[in-house]
Amino acid sequence: MASVNISQLNKKYGAVRVLHDLDLQVADGRFVVLLGPSGCGKSTLLRMIAGLESITSGDVLFDDTRVNDVHAKDRNIAMVFQNYALYAHMSVRKNMAFSMRLKRVDKKTIDEKVTWAASILGLEPYLDRLPRELSGGQRQRVAMGRAIVRDPDVFLFDEPLSNLDAKLRVQMRTEIKELHQRLKTTTIYVTHDQIEAMTMADDVVIMRDGYIEQAGSPMEVYDKPNNLFVAQFIGSPGMNIIECQVAVKNGVYYATRDELFLPLPAQAPVEDGQALLYGVRPEHMVPGVQSAGSGDSRASGVVRVVEPTGPEVHVYAKMAGQDVCAISRERLAWEPGETIYFQPDTNHVHLFNKETGAAL
Amino acid sequence: MSERRVWLPRWLTSEHPLPWLFPVTSLLIVFGLYPVLFSLWLSFFKRNPATRKEKFLPSWNWEKMISDERVWDAVQVTLTYAFIALFIQLVLGLLIALLLDTDRKGFGVLRALMTLPLVVPPAVTGMMFLLMYDSSFGVISNSLYSLGLLSPNTPILGTASTALWGVIVADVWQWTPFMVLIMLAGLRALPKEPYEAASIDGASAIQSFFYLTLPMMSKIIALAVLIRGIDLFRIFDYVKVMTDSGPGTATETLTAYAGTIYFKSANFPYASTIALATLIVVLVTSSLFIKIFKVKF
Repeated sequence: MASVNISQLNKKYGAVRVLHDLDLQVADGRFVVLLGPSGCGKSTLLRMIAGLESITSGDVLFDDTRVNDVHAKDRNIAMVFQNYALYAHMSVRKNMAFSMRLKRVDKKTIDEKVTWAASILGLEPYLDRLPRELSGGQRQRVAMGRAIVRDPDVFLFDEPLSNLDAKLRVQMRTEIKELHQRLKTTTIYVTHDQIEAMTMADDVVIMRDGYIEQAGSPMEVYDKPNNLFVAQFIGSPGMNIIECQVAVKNGVYYATRDELFLPLPAQAPVEDGQALLYGVRPEHMVPGVQSAGSGDSRASGVVRVVEPTGPEVHVYAKMAGQDVCAISRERLAWEPGETIYFQPDTNHVHLFNKETGAAL
Repeated sequence: MSERRVWLPRWLTSEHPLPWLFPVTSLLIVFGLYPVLFSLWLSFFKRNPATRKEKFLPSWNWEKMISDERVWDAVQVTLTYAFIALFIQLVLGLLIALLLDTDRKGFGVLRALMTLPLVVPPAVTGMMFLLMYDSSFGVISNSLYSLGLLSPNTPILGTASTALWGVIVADVWQWTPFMVLIMLAGLRALPKEPYEAASIDGASAIQSFFYLTLPMMSKIIALAVLIRGIDLFRIFDYVKVMTDSGPGTATETLTAYAGTIYFKSANFPYASTIALATLIVVLVTSSLFIKIFKVKF
């Protein structure tokens, strides 16, 4: 096992710069998820760590060894690809044994390792099948089996679940996490699915356009987003963002927009007349049928759509011209067109600079 | 939706398969089935060269063919020719395809240029090589003379031991690009990820070739071997143009022998018998090949 240290890492394709001076430390045994929208450079970063992409400048270190010029086959890593990248003409057993066969490991050890991996992943009945005779989830397990028999220093996952259906994805998510808890191998996992990131990671690294926007534990990035991008990217449905202007009424600061008077946190660093973005997550947008606001706060809108999901109800409404969403665990029956009142929880209100998007 | 055109007969506008099968079926019957059946019919006659009369003797030509040593010589020449040419074209084709399988600049032009020999008619290729082999001014012969690899006393196409090779070179020049095309199409369609996975698994480029490329290409290779194999087995034009089966019968292939009997001796029944036998051998061999190597097309 190894820690992975990345410093001042850059990647250019011709004149296009896709990664900008990235610094990242992945401690030994951690499960780190690189999260970001398509084209943010997360897969490129992973492939550079794997040795599949050249490094324009900067360093990649495994423990304290610089591996920039070490060939992928000598880095002792294992990688699971989005489309599994199985060897189609080899049986499951041969797929898993391939790396050991290349190293001329004796047959007994190979058999032991393959059996061990197959038992962990529940692949024993399929060892002599070809990949095309397996379902998507089974193929994904074979890809993981191929990775774990290597006993690698670092596991790399490149969107391994995106080709699976929703139910299987949830199941495999748990299995990968369990596997990590069992093997405790340093893992770097790339995904664009923020639920995967939240549920699996020890640390989440959120990327955009080749920059790291924020790194931290899942709850940290959820509760204290550094900026507007992180706030909106994490969480589903996304955080409500309302363009507001600060106003004072009866000595109390409010974020206002048209007839809205949204309550601000007690120590908010704002001044009268300041333009800002007011962010509140749907679950903190407590809905009610009547104005339950304290003081002069007023937040009401018109219900557009009501989506019951089972455990909770998602209410989409138009509030002062802006779309907002609220989540309630109470099964209240709203009708489209009805007026709805909200009470944003001031302990969980996020304020952002209107120009830079940085958290205030 | 367009309405049914009323001026067309109903059977032509219906969804009945017949009108759609008719054109190709009639072509096949006229130009494929009829000649074969006619050849079969012909092969049942004994032709008297003196009287030019034909007499119905069903087994005569077939028995004659079995005992004709020249036929067995021709079989040997055909097989030698086909196997050597096929092997060279396959290996060369795969090697060139591997070199051209890249997205680097300029290689697209190279890939296009590669196909040029394919547009030359085989007879013209034969003439071209005939000239290049000419012992007084041919560029190939003269180069080999000056390198000391060949003596001017033994012209390439005029010497029994080298004549077949001379023809094979022309075939290789013309048809290797075809192999390259098929192999390139196969190589370009291979997924990239298994190679990345293999490199992470510790495979070198050569190991990747033997463990991944060859097995993944096996179906394509089998298809290429089948197509070229059939072509090579009925080789006629190069031999006809370059050596006319000579010297002696050193380069006489089965089809060339059939041609000689047909055009020179005008023994149509016997020529048809040999041609039919060639067809039967090709059919049986290629069917077996398709079955054994599970070729799909």
